[in-house]
Amino acid sequence: MTPDSRAFAAAMDRTPALEHELGDILEIGILRTDCDLVVVGWNRWLETASQQLAADVVGRSLFDVFPTLVGGQTEAAFRSAAAGATVILSQRLHGYALPLPTTVDGAGFEYMQQSARLMPLVSASREIVGVLAIIEDVTDRVVRESELRAAIGAAQLASKAKSDFLASMSHELRTPLSAMIGYSELLSSEISGPLSPLQHDHVSRLQLCARHLLGIVEEILSFARIDAGREEVRVEEVDVVALTEEALAVLTPSAKKKGLRLDVELPSCPVVATTDTIKLRQVLINLLGNAVKFTDHGGVKLSLRCIEGSSMIEFRIEDTGPGIAAEDLTRIFEAFTQVDQSRKRTKGGTGLGLPVSRHLAEMLGGSVSVESCVGVGSVFRLVLPLRYGTTSNELAPAV
Amino acid sequence: MNLSALEVDALTELFNIGLHRAAASLSELTAQRIVVDLPRLWISPIEGARPRLMELLDGELASVHQIFGGVVAGDAVLLMEYEKAALLAKLMTRDEVALSGRLDQSAREVLTEVGNIVLGSCLSAFGDILHVSVAFSVPRIRIESLDGLLRSLTIDSAEIQYAVIAATRFRLSELEVAGYLIVALGVTSLELITHALTQRVE
Repeated sequence: MTPDSRAFAAAMDRTPALEHELGDILEIGILRTDCDLVVVGWNRWLETASQQLAADVVGRSLFDVFPTLVGGQTEAAFRSAAAGATVILSQRLHGYALPLPTTVDGAGFEYMQQSARLMPLVSASREIVGVLAIIEDVTDRVVRESELRAAIGAAQLASKAKSDFLASMSHELRTPLSAMIGYSELLSSEISGPLSPLQHDHVSRLQLCARHLLGIVEEILSFARIDAGREEVRVEEVDVVALTEEALAVLTPSAKKKGLRLDVELPSCPVVATTDTIKLRQVLINLLGNAVKFTDHGGVKLSLRCIEGSSMIEFRIEDTGPGIAAEDLTRIFEAFTQVDQSRKRTKGGTGLGLPVSRHLAEMLGGSVSVESCVGVGSVFRLVLPLRYGTTSNELAPAV
Repeated sequence: MNLSALEVDALTELFNIGLHRAAASLSELTAQRIVVDLPRLWISPIEGARPRLMELLDGELASVHQIFGGVVAGDAVLLMEYEKAALLAKLMTRDEVALSGRLDQSAREVLTEVGNIVLGSCLSAFGDILHVSVAFSVPRIRIESLDGLLRSLTIDSAEIQYAVIAATRFRLSELEVAGYLIVALGVTSLELITHALTQRVE
């Protein structure tokens, strides 16, 4: 033994009390060995955890105390530390450093799950004189994490089952609804015989309700497809000015019926975009439909412009509706949310229109955002790339 | 201090040796094929590291720090963007940690072990070339901003400090995860290493 290591050993002889205290306070095992991996320090935490007293362990080889460690990763780790390396033994990749009895019964672990750090003990003259191992019991945390993982897995399965159910049920609902609308249109056209004015009125109410129900089912179907990851983008070239006019034509009767102004500001020449026409039309109708639905006085204005200096276009839908409180601005994009539940009853709807619109816009590489002032109105902005697959700064996301 | 092309090549090769050893250890540990590449290496005074890292990294960062000492001394860091660090821990454990994309406690432990192996392998390669042993501190994982990281990269020395930045790529489970190794060290340590390397090459 060199003078240095003798001095070091003497210093270490004074440390057990400190190691006992530290181990008790921090709830850690502190194990010291010499370079031959003979145990020289075994604190109180280890005595309790291993049910072996220091007096019975100190002076024995670590592999005499735990014969199962021979040839395993723990032996390799201790030998690396004795050669000067620091070693981490994480629970997830190793399970345990020392085969100590488990502290959580019924969790399926034979041994206490541990996180350990091993480092060389170096004397003042930089000579390696042993190994210090700090061992932490993480069994309880591992059990909790495992329960959490199981819960997440179950929730994901349930969510998928729900989406599958919604997708299939919506399809089953849409088919008979389409038939109802078709046959009521046949009745209206009087192919099967003339209708009295009262019968006409009843049939038109029937059509109105069926179309309303079909709209709700379509919304649920879209949401379910997106949620289940089944929505696909089908890209084609489309004149977005003409497409916007089509969407406006759908909403004009409702706006007129409510006595609302419908202002439009569109470029005078065609603007050709490469995008998914059906999805863009759906988003525009959703945003315009919401603006008309929630506005009782004043009007709705739709404008379209190309954003200068980028390859993006912006649709801006302004309304003079009740507005949305600042604290509700993010919630409106959550599924099944309408900020004012009393209004939901009077205005109808599933609360899926905005989440679906945002999802569809994001699928097309764009975004939907909102600014609003209570009592003044709201402005929804739909920004999309002119060419699907490009972004404003043309930066591809890194992995 | 300007390094010649030969010295930079030799230093790159030294990192490659370290990363090859790290990949072998990680593959054995996780029982899956893991490759660690080194696509690029930069050396600059430590002040020059900031703009370079700003170009390469964005947002919150996860880093594993390990101070090393002996004949060559400094601070070594494995640095990744937070999301990529979570992805790496998830892939290393075959989806057992960081499932939600967050670095939970187990994911942090795994990442610390990975950092310890990668940094230890590279720093040991430095020691091997100089025929000296390099002593390491226990690695510490931190979640911090780039500014916080750069503040912590100071070496307890008055001499001019350099940063060797090595871009790395972990390839496993048919995916690639980008990370960076930063070794901050004084001019004397860097000169010792490059001198030993060029002597070996010549």
